[in-house]
Amino acid sequence: MIDLEERYIEKKSFFNRLIIVYVFFSIVFSYFLYKAYSLQVYEYGEYESAALENKTKEVLVQPVRGIIYDRNGTIIVNNIPTYDLIIKPWLISNLEAFLNELQMIIEIDDSNLDYVKENFKIKASYNRELTVKKNLSSKEIARFEVRSYKFPNAFIDERYSRKNYYPNLFSHSIGYVGGMDNYQLENIFKNQGITQSETIFKYSNGYQIGKTGIESTYDKELRGLFGKKIYEVDARGKLLKELKFIPPINGNNLFTSLDIEAQKIAFEQMNDRRGAVVAVEIDSGSIVTYISTPSFSTNEISNGISSKEFNKLVNDKNKPFFDRASQGRYSPASTIKPAIGLFGLENNIIDWDFSIDDPGFFVLPEDQRVYRGWREGGHGNVNLERAMIVSSNTFFFSLAYKSDINILIDYLSNFGFGKKVCVDCFNPDVGLLPDPEWKMNNLNFGWFKGDTVNLGVGQGYLSATPLQLAYYSSILANRGELKKLSFIGQDSTATEEIPLKNINNNDWNRMHKSMIGVIESYEGTAKRLQDLKTYTVAAKSGTVELVSTDTKEDYKIIRENEGNRDHAIIIAFGPMPNPEYAVSVVIENGESGGSVAGPVAIAVLNSLIKK
Amino acid sequence: MKKRLDFKNFSIYFDQYLFISITLLSVMGLFFLYSASQGDLNAVIKQAIFVGFGLILMFFVSQPDPDFYKTYSGLFLVISLILILATMIFGNEINGAKRWLNLGFFSLQTSEIIKISLPIFLAAYLYNRPLPISTKHTFLTLALICLTFFLIYRQPDLGTGLVVFMAGIYVLFLAGLSWRFIFISFGLFVLSLPFIWNNFLQPFQRQRILTYLDPSNDPFGSSWNITQSKIAIGSGGMQGKGYQEGSQANLNFLPEAETDFIFAVIAEEFGFIGICILLSIFFFILLRCLYLAFNARDRFCRLTIGGLSLVFASTLFINLGMVVGILPVVGMPMPLISKGGSSLLSFYIAFGIIMSMATHKKLMQK
Repeated sequence: MIDLEERYIEKKSFFNRLIIVYVFFSIVFSYFLYKAYSLQVYEYGEYESAALENKTKEVLVQPVRGIIYDRNGTIIVNNIPTYDLIIKPWLISNLEAFLNELQMIIEIDDSNLDYVKENFKIKASYNRELTVKKNLSSKEIARFEVRSYKFPNAFIDERYSRKNYYPNLFSHSIGYVGGMDNYQLENIFKNQGITQSETIFKYSNGYQIGKTGIESTYDKELRGLFGKKIYEVDARGKLLKELKFIPPINGNNLFTSLDIEAQKIAFEQMNDRRGAVVAVEIDSGSIVTYISTPSFSTNEISNGISSKEFNKLVNDKNKPFFDRASQGRYSPASTIKPAIGLFGLENNIIDWDFSIDDPGFFVLPEDQRVYRGWREGGHGNVNLERAMIVSSNTFFFSLAYKSDINILIDYLSNFGFGKKVCVDCFNPDVGLLPDPEWKMNNLNFGWFKGDTVNLGVGQGYLSATPLQLAYYSSILANRGELKKLSFIGQDSTATEEIPLKNINNNDWNRMHKSMIGVIESYEGTAKRLQDLKTYTVAAKSGTVELVSTDTKEDYKIIRENEGNRDHAIIIAFGPMPNPEYAVSVVIENGESGGSVAGPVAIAVLNSLIKK
Repeated sequence: MKKRLDFKNFSIYFDQYLFISITLLSVMGLFFLYSASQGDLNAVIKQAIFVGFGLILMFFVSQPDPDFYKTYSGLFLVISLILILATMIFGNEINGAKRWLNLGFFSLQTSEIIKISLPIFLAAYLYNRPLPISTKHTFLTLALICLTFFLIYRQPDLGTGLVVFMAGIYVLFLAGLSWRFIFISFGLFVLSLPFIWNNFLQPFQRQRILTYLDPSNDPFGSSWNITQSKIAIGSGGMQGKGYQEGSQANLNFLPEAETDFIFAVIAEEFGFIGICILLSIFFFILLRCLYLAFNARDRFCRLTIGGLSLVFASTLFINLGMVVGILPVVGMPMPLISKGGSSLLSFYIAFGIIMSMATHKKLMQK
């Protein structure tokens, strides 16, 4: 037995120690309370939004792309619905029985069945839909719809595919859509201020972006804005209920200035020859025809093409994917002559009465080098008008010879050479407007006088795209002023004006008259076109020499190889005297601008002007 | 006040303050459980049966004289140890841990029993030792504590093992462990930490501690629990989201919402005000135990009340510390609130014994 003294000491020690532990626990307790307070009061906002973010899931809803129309309101590109049978696995208790019942109505092939069986469980546990069969026929749709009351856990849904009704006509102008890389996708989402997440697709091909042409340049307008469905989810990501639906904003429809009829005519006329046709409504600067041939079917590209077919297109020596209209570089050849003539007039180097004697060649005084015309023996006495009609090289050689290269280059750029002439063309090339600096930098040679002389007939380093030639043709037709070209003929596009001091309306009249003479005159280079139309057309043809030959005999030898033959080229506008449309045509290795490219140009103008 | 109701032939011993506050907590626990289990009425009914049975058990356990517990404390300890050994052999394995012994009608978590019987045994063993406790008794006591800890730790159940370990240490400390021994062993413990780390902790336990030290280390692994728990608590705000309105619990973001993390559910649905009210009841119980310990009739009773109340406090604090993200995640229920019969019953027994110790007066010694 412990005595009383010791009991007292023991009791005191016990109390002290118990108090120590309690004080310690009280401190811990206070700290916990403080911790809870800071979580619930100081950091409340942060955790509240974390809890909210936890329990909500945003699912994006894909918008439908805008429809693309031609200038008469005819649909060119549309979204064609296909009908898919979709089930809600979480509402199906017995999959076998369900499928058996379903198969009595709609045939489901084994690969689809396997796919459904494989994915059923996981889709069910996350409340996600599952596609059982794609592309239902109208008979299948009807069979299902009348029995749909039996299947509250299945429904038919539309999934679109992008379809061009004229798959070969607009391959380069409108282009096609396709999948995109993650970077592009991220950008699209970033621009809309959303983050990428699970998406309810409207297209059977998933995310789509314009890859080329108008589909690409107007992608933002056509694409629309993603909508959102906000669901409540549990920790596993299972969708519990829809909290909010912000519908997608479908893309804007696009009314282009393209003319289906003229496209058809141009395409048929080109008849798969390599080349391009571009026609412009002069008043608005809007492109009404835009063809590059040979072509390919955009529908196959956007909606699935076998790699064999694709490789065939890629490796085709005629390069169907190549957009000759805005990326093909061709020397303008004799079609440059109206611009050179105007330059001579503007700078008072010549006037309409000035004439020379054309012996068929020009001798460069500096080194006695001979520059030949296309006709042996020459054209005799030629003034500017006749030089245009008969396409006298000598006249323009000598005119160019008298010109300052820098002023000439500057002047030519007013006609669209070496410049971007279209506001919404896909990836256009600007051709080449060579100047002494360019030559030194790229070819390591100084500028020769001979280079300037060559420029006078549009040969040498100068090159332009058919699109630029169409712009050039239009600005000639419109007497020196024009809106930049576009596919939608915007009113807002600024009009570009060539600064002219010494050229008046009379000069323009005579220039147009000379170009009318190219077709209408008995000695015009394109006189064969006279009978193809019922109205007056102004034109200038050209023949692009790919291999320089001194005689016709030499040319006959080199033309054995088709690739060596001259390109045929023409610019034209009409109806005169008040032209509405201007056109340019290039046919590779077509040899004669007047008689090969010419009929194509006239056919397109016929189609446009009839209206 | 301590009550001794005298009837003609017998007396009833119980403490009305402890009884009322414990009953209140238990009923609140059922109410919280209904929400945490997303309206699982079966779970609530099962728990309610435990509560009812537990309250009766508590009442009966508080009737015998402390001398009864003193006398049979060795037997209780031996039975507890046998149960633990039986668990190691016959126990049901759940999630890789053998903690439960199937008794047919109920799975008993045997480690819950020993966290009561060990402190009582140690109180009985140490109550008449002269102060300070001699080195021999200190080491014998420590050996027993470590043995029990090791048995539970092997299940493995680090959390309960630590509570049992602490329960033993509390009694030893309260009984008068020499301060010199405390300082020396603390020094040794700190020095041996790296050894413990490398040899005694399972990889998942190490990972839990590492995650605790740097939660950003692995957001969806072991700290997922802590993160979700903090979100639940923090998003409750001052007033809470309302009963059954807690999205963290109802949408299953919160792990173990019915057991270890039920405090987070309460914090989410009832806010800071709610948890203050709840914790003040716990605090009241602890203060009441302190008072009862001071007024207990002898050293054995004081040690037992002190030891058992500190077991209760430690369980609560480990649970709270884990849920608010201060301590690593070790499985530890919130006493009297979390779902689970073994933990509930063990605390009812503990409080029954506390009441017995506090209410029985000793006849004056001659």
